[in-house]
Amino acid sequence: MAARVLSRCVRTLSRGAVVFNRSGVSAAAAAAAALPLSRGRVFSHLAAGHKPLLAQTLGGLQRRSYGDLPPLTLESIRDRVLYVLKLYDKINPEQLQVTSHFMKDLGLDSLDQVEIIMAMEDEFGFEIPDAEAEKLMTPEEIVQYIADKKDVYE
Amino acid sequence: MSNPLRGEVIRLYKNLLYLGREYPKGTVYFRERLKSAFLKNRDVTDPEKIRKLIDRGEFVIKELEALYFLRKYRAMKKRYYEPEH
Repeated sequence: MAARVLSRCVRTLSRGAVVFNRSGVSAAAAAAAALPLSRGRVFSHLAAGHKPLLAQTLGGLQRRSYGDLPPLTLESIRDRVLYVLKLYDKINPEQLQVTSHFMKDLGLDSLDQVEIIMAMEDEFGFEIPDAEAEKLMTPEEIVQYIADKKDVYE
Repeated sequence: MSNPLRGEVIRLYKNLLYLGREYPKGTVYFRERLKSAFLKNRDVTDPEKIRKLIDRGEFVIKELEALYFLRKYRAMKKRYYEPEH
């Protein structure tokens, strides 16, 4: 009997919390922009890194990323890829372009290319399969591949 | 270019590079030696010879693993036992 009473209490409590939560969210959304944005859409915008758009629509609402890194964008991926490539000792930073081919333009061999892919794996924290790594021959292709894998779009 | 063993060679190179990160004489030293060892055999086209060279690479991997294991063992031993042992 006591257990039943207790469980009922807990249930009503939790329901109250949920109701409160829901009302809080809808109030915030209505106050922010009066746009029919669902929560899912808000998060997808965040993941795609549309910061200026978000700042416009949601005003002061900001997302804290805690220990997570800020969301990737195509520019940030490109910057990081080029930064890693500049640190690689066999590449001359002045010759490096986004479209330059590792073997034809930069004079590297296939073993250097393997090392570059390994450096990218370290930088972005995921593994690139050998079959796909072979095809990545320019910084542009690496950026595109990482953006595809991390679900980053324009 | 389209050699079927190419993928295996690249995988071997990758594994060796990963192992070389902890090499006692330094990663850079290891990487240079590894690269020159691979470049020395760049013109080998006979599949059987390539197979043999890959086997040799696998052997080197085992040697490196043994080396690291021994190093770890020695460090532990030094910490837990008297120095004259």
